[in-house]
Amino acid sequence: MKKIVNYIFSALVGSLFLASCTKEIDQSPTYTLNGEERFKTINDYEYALTGAYSQFLANSYYGSTSGANAFVALPDMMSDNLYETSESLVNYTQFSGWYYTADDGYVEDIWLDAYSVVRQANLTLRGIDNLASQNPRAVNRIKAQALAIRALSHFDLLRYFGEDYGRNSTKLGVPYVDRFDIEQKPARLTVKATWDRIEADLKEAKNLMGNMDKEIQSATSTAASARSLIDPMVVNAILARMYNYAGVQDSAIKYATLVINARPLATPSEYPQIWKDVTTKEVVWSVKFQAFNSDIGGNVYYAVGNRASYRPTTNLLATYNASTDVRYPSFFSSIARRGTNRLVASKYIGKEGRTDGIVDFKAFRTSEMYLIRAEAYARLGNDVQALLDLNTLRQARNAASGLETGAALLDAIFVERRKELFMEGQRFFDLKRTTRTINRTTNCSNFCTLEPAAREWNLPIPQSEIQANPAIVQNPGY
Amino acid sequence: MRRLKLLLATGLLFCVQILWAQVQVTGKVTDQKDGSPLAGVTVTVKNNNRSAVTGAEGTYSISAPDNGTLVFSFVGYATLERPVGSVVNVALAAGENAMTEVVVTGYTSQTRRASTGSIARVKADEVRLQPVASFEQQLQGKSAGVLIQSGSGQPGSAANVIIRGKGSVLGSTQPLYIVDGIQISAADFQSLNPSDFESYNILKDAVSTSQYGSRGANGVIVITTKKGTANKTRLTYDYQYGIGELPENKLKLMNAAEKIAFEMSADGIYGTNPNGWSDEEADSLSKVNGNWAGAMFRKAKTQQHQISLTGGSERTRFFVSGSAFDQEGVVTATGLKRYTGRINLDHSVNDFRLGLNAFVGSSRLENTTESNTGIGSPLNAIRWHLPYVTPYLPDGSYNDADMAIQGQPNALKELLENPRTNRQLKGLAAFNLEYRAPFLQGLTAKTNLGVDFTDNTIQRYVSPTTYLGSQQTGGQGSFAQSNNRNRRFSVTNSLGYRKTTGDHAFGINLFNELIQNRFTSFGFTGYGLAGAFRNAAGIIPGTPTNGFIPTVNGNETTSALLSYFAIGDYNYKGKYFLNGTVRRDGASKLAEGKKWTTFGSIGGSWVISSEDFMKNSLFNDLKLKVGYGSAANSNVGNDYEALELFGPTSYNGVGGLVLTNLAKPNLTWEIRNMFNAGIDFGLLKNRVNGTFEVYNSVTNGLYLNRQISGTSGTTSILTNMGRMRNRGIEATITAAIFKGKGFNWTLSANHTYNQNRILELDGQPENIDGLFINRVGESQNSLYVVRFARVDPQTGESIYLTKDGKETKTYDPNDRVIAGRTDPPHFGGVTNTFGYKGFELGVLFTYMFGNKVYNNDRTNVENPGYYYSSVAESLQRAWTKAGDITDVPGLMDEYHPETTRYVEDGKFLRLRNVMLSYALPANVAGKIKASTVRFFIQGQNLYTWHNVLAYDPEVPSGNLLGAQYPPLKTWTFGATVGF
Repeated sequence: MKKIVNYIFSALVGSLFLASCTKEIDQSPTYTLNGEERFKTINDYEYALTGAYSQFLANSYYGSTSGANAFVALPDMMSDNLYETSESLVNYTQFSGWYYTADDGYVEDIWLDAYSVVRQANLTLRGIDNLASQNPRAVNRIKAQALAIRALSHFDLLRYFGEDYGRNSTKLGVPYVDRFDIEQKPARLTVKATWDRIEADLKEAKNLMGNMDKEIQSATSTAASARSLIDPMVVNAILARMYNYAGVQDSAIKYATLVINARPLATPSEYPQIWKDVTTKEVVWSVKFQAFNSDIGGNVYYAVGNRASYRPTTNLLATYNASTDVRYPSFFSSIARRGTNRLVASKYIGKEGRTDGIVDFKAFRTSEMYLIRAEAYARLGNDVQALLDLNTLRQARNAASGLETGAALLDAIFVERRKELFMEGQRFFDLKRTTRTINRTTNCSNFCTLEPAAREWNLPIPQSEIQANPAIVQNPGY
Repeated sequence: MRRLKLLLATGLLFCVQILWAQVQVTGKVTDQKDGSPLAGVTVTVKNNNRSAVTGAEGTYSISAPDNGTLVFSFVGYATLERPVGSVVNVALAAGENAMTEVVVTGYTSQTRRASTGSIARVKADEVRLQPVASFEQQLQGKSAGVLIQSGSGQPGSAANVIIRGKGSVLGSTQPLYIVDGIQISAADFQSLNPSDFESYNILKDAVSTSQYGSRGANGVIVITTKKGTANKTRLTYDYQYGIGELPENKLKLMNAAEKIAFEMSADGIYGTNPNGWSDEEADSLSKVNGNWAGAMFRKAKTQQHQISLTGGSERTRFFVSGSAFDQEGVVTATGLKRYTGRINLDHSVNDFRLGLNAFVGSSRLENTTESNTGIGSPLNAIRWHLPYVTPYLPDGSYNDADMAIQGQPNALKELLENPRTNRQLKGLAAFNLEYRAPFLQGLTAKTNLGVDFTDNTIQRYVSPTTYLGSQQTGGQGSFAQSNNRNRRFSVTNSLGYRKTTGDHAFGINLFNELIQNRFTSFGFTGYGLAGAFRNAAGIIPGTPTNGFIPTVNGNETTSALLSYFAIGDYNYKGKYFLNGTVRRDGASKLAEGKKWTTFGSIGGSWVISSEDFMKNSLFNDLKLKVGYGSAANSNVGNDYEALELFGPTSYNGVGGLVLTNLAKPNLTWEIRNMFNAGIDFGLLKNRVNGTFEVYNSVTNGLYLNRQISGTSGTTSILTNMGRMRNRGIEATITAAIFKGKGFNWTLSANHTYNQNRILELDGQPENIDGLFINRVGESQNSLYVVRFARVDPQTGESIYLTKDGKETKTYDPNDRVIAGRTDPPHFGGVTNTFGYKGFELGVLFTYMFGNKVYNNDRTNVENPGYYYSSVAESLQRAWTKAGDITDVPGLMDEYHPETTRYVEDGKFLRLRNVMLSYALPANVAGKIKASTVRFFIQGQNLYTWHNVLAYDPEVPSGNLLGAQYPPLKTWTFGATVGF
């Protein structure tokens, strides 16, 4: 008995020191991965790049579920294309009524969601050059896309937060973040310097895309699932849009032409199918939304709940020939609520046969390239070429051709932009870059005019940024 | 050889006897209550340095001078002296006064006399009859320094418990809960049976909490469960039945007639009559009484049966219990059902003592969403439904009219057709083995193995007929089930030695402990429900066209805590006490190189009343104590918070990685250094007892979200930065005000003042997070909003105050100021107990004051943008024309709710509990062969005096978001029969 007792006692005492090896407190995650131990192979960089694309689906970027839908519907809500109805839960009234402040949650979301894309692009670039010796052409392919993604997000930030868009403007643009470092407190660059960085990233992306291990995606397929990634043609389209905003006409013409030649316009019969995700004809970059992703345009027309918080203005609708224009039935439909029909913006109502608002966002289309080229020609005084492009587009939409010249032609191009690019993240910026007044002549009783001098043309830099980053300067008036 | 040895021994003994006139005394020490043996009793010879400790069977052996005196002392029992004889058997009586009460710290136990820390003890019997499923709600108002906020009246929900002020801003502020030596989490209370508990020991200061090292910073609540008694087997049966209802709703909304009149005249953003009623419609609608609250809420029944059995022999003792608890929620279709079983067993053999405490609980909870702002939440819907829309159509079907009018889904349909069921299976087992070394008196070794197992099955059925169902992928409802399992395993080994020599007594315990936690989960959601099933069988298989693609998810996380520690105590003459703890902890969660830290504490006390000069004083007990030490908190973020983590994502059907957690290479403990000083006293033969304490605790390395540039994609990162102080005063007093023949009256009261201050924020002056600010020199999470001044009588616009106090019509977040603190600086409770013969009446009031509440719930019904929907009565006062003097702006005013207009005073006084009980006289009870028969009736939360425009003023977060499920007003009656 005594022996047993001694044995047990020794065991108890011994066990005091049993757990002394400290590996017990080294625990590794399995359902998330430790970044410091990864990124040793090209595969992890492929995953990170996919991650960067997925960030575009964020709710205040191209997505809309409880978010600002900043680069899809919001610029139309903030202009004269849409008006708020009594179906609205008034979550966006401060935008359509132009009384946003620096502490607005959505303003912060817009800032953060765009910089989250930038972050994921920078993480994709972090250390990738270490693998260049093993597989240089695969590295080029991944790097090129990450650079283009980074450039596009900064461009989008500039659209909301930049004071203007002149290629050589010394007004304030946005901070350009080119590496992942949370301790950075970057200052806003001038608009010119912002453009410089965007242009440099896009040019490098184009350059790298000339020497890749394989094509990013099929150049010819117009299947529903095609054109999901940023390939050389998307980079051309981003460049064309950039030069259009920046007022660099010859470059805008050059890059728009590259896209126009490679991605022909859809025919009037194909056109409606674009919006149902049956085809990607004419689509240059289609941001893929699938089941379990956010809906888009839900803050305008929430398809699942049949809630039209915003509806197209009479003024906008009057620009279309409702009986012939192929865009009219693609963008608008009459849907009943409480037994009464009302016309809603149904452009993003869903993929073929579905009404859940989950549909690809067509971030770049050939029609925009025609409009960019037409505008550039018109600004260069080449009315003939400008009208040719404008009428080519009009014909493709079954709209009447025109014979405009001079200022009337330029106006007609903007009207066409308004009609063609409805809810594609353009209207507010088109008005901003041409220094116009927003005049809500129809469907408006409160907040109807935004003068060119108003501070609201630029979103305020979020309050959290002002607090955290002493280098940042607030936009005038806030 | 053998002979020689014997001879030597005999000779030695002989010598000793001659020198000391020694006798060898043997005997047995038992518990006076039930005759069970008491192990560990210290037996000393008076005025001598000899001592012995009783073994597992209560026996001892000591040599003592034949004219000497033996002193028997044991924690929790009155000390006894007996003259030396050859056999001295004694029965010790459990201590009766405050000083002999035993306080349990989990790893050790002491009498209150010997304790140098701040420990509040609540006997479970005092509170166990309160009709709440979670025990911690029963403690409200019972103990100074312990703030308990109910927050929610939903069955099974845990209360918010704060001990001596919030010591953390972002980390958990909840105390550590220990049941029989095993850590459990507050979320588990829904499945535990509070009637199994014997006592709650609330450890408040470092002298006690540093024993828990890295888990102790927020205080510790140590719960002991009932043990068996060596006596005849006793059976106790309890029954109770209660009815609960909602308290008064102070946020008044327009009724149908008011609302229709308002709509027909209001000139909002969509003009008058936004819902487009014809005159006839308006006329008939104004006569409707929607009464959503009436349809949604009910009087909720609670029933409990409980049976327990206790008994045993000298060697083996047991406590067995079983219970069934059925609580309806006041929101229709919600409720908690719980079944529990427990067996506590201990057995002594030779030098060993073995114990097993095993518990199994099974619960089923049907709940509804709360504390959110979603329109699909039934508790929001009662506020947001138009008052002229009824829940049901005349034919009894759901009325979806409000969906058509304003897009508000029928709350009742959402609630009743979309059941949310949580089933929990909970197992707790603690096995302990104790060995008393026969070869060295006072040496013990212990091991304690514990398993805490929780298995949750959560099912969500979303009917295709509901609004929520239409929002699911594929638009035809969904069924989701998730199973998660948490297993916490702990092993504690210890070696202890205790010795008394003369006036000196000391004890030392060395510990090694490892706690491992593993959480796993698996779940799926299937879409497209049709047919007869309301479960997984109803899921329609997905095809490329129907969109019913199910999702599957899983997770696993692990964590571990490894510790070495020592706890020691020393006393001189039983008057001067010293306690000390040193503990070294390593935690898996923290950053490499920052995982280990050492904690410690030291405390001393002086029992003044035992000094000779106090012999004839008023005080029969008077003790001074002081202590200082540290404990920490790492309960923040996820299990791998220090690492840079990438989580899964996908784009266009391709899997990818996305950053989900920023690396925090410096993440370490949040350490709270605590000072405590106090006086315990008993006056007038313990007729008046009390404790006064002051404390000062400073949290270093405070977890805060350090603001970083949003250009990183995130606005903040969790960082150890800054320091925060909580200091305060606690007073507890219990007085027998009247002690007469048959009638007596006892008053017990406690009050706490806690001052919270941010001392330092890593060089920054402030840190803002939404509505809240942490600013140096101010209370943590203070409300930070723009001051609302008045309404411009000419234009109906809001007029705000700038930072400098000037009036302005421009809302500018730069004008925000601190509008009050969110956690109450003052709180307490007062209990009056009256006894008359077999009757007892207890009345408990609780109160708090000094805090503010932001009423986000009200912002939604006073938002003029919603003037077509259900809105507050107050909008009838909205400005309409020049010259109107009112406090409600015009309907066309820009609406900025983040102002003092929505900051309300959170003070309240609550009649928390009234209990009337009657015990049958023993001779009457004996007629039915019962030893005790007791009946009671009690009221809980009977009335609350407060000014918050809501159901209830208790809002632990300081922001009343919406969908409030308030604590209920409850009447309960019941009976206890013991045989």
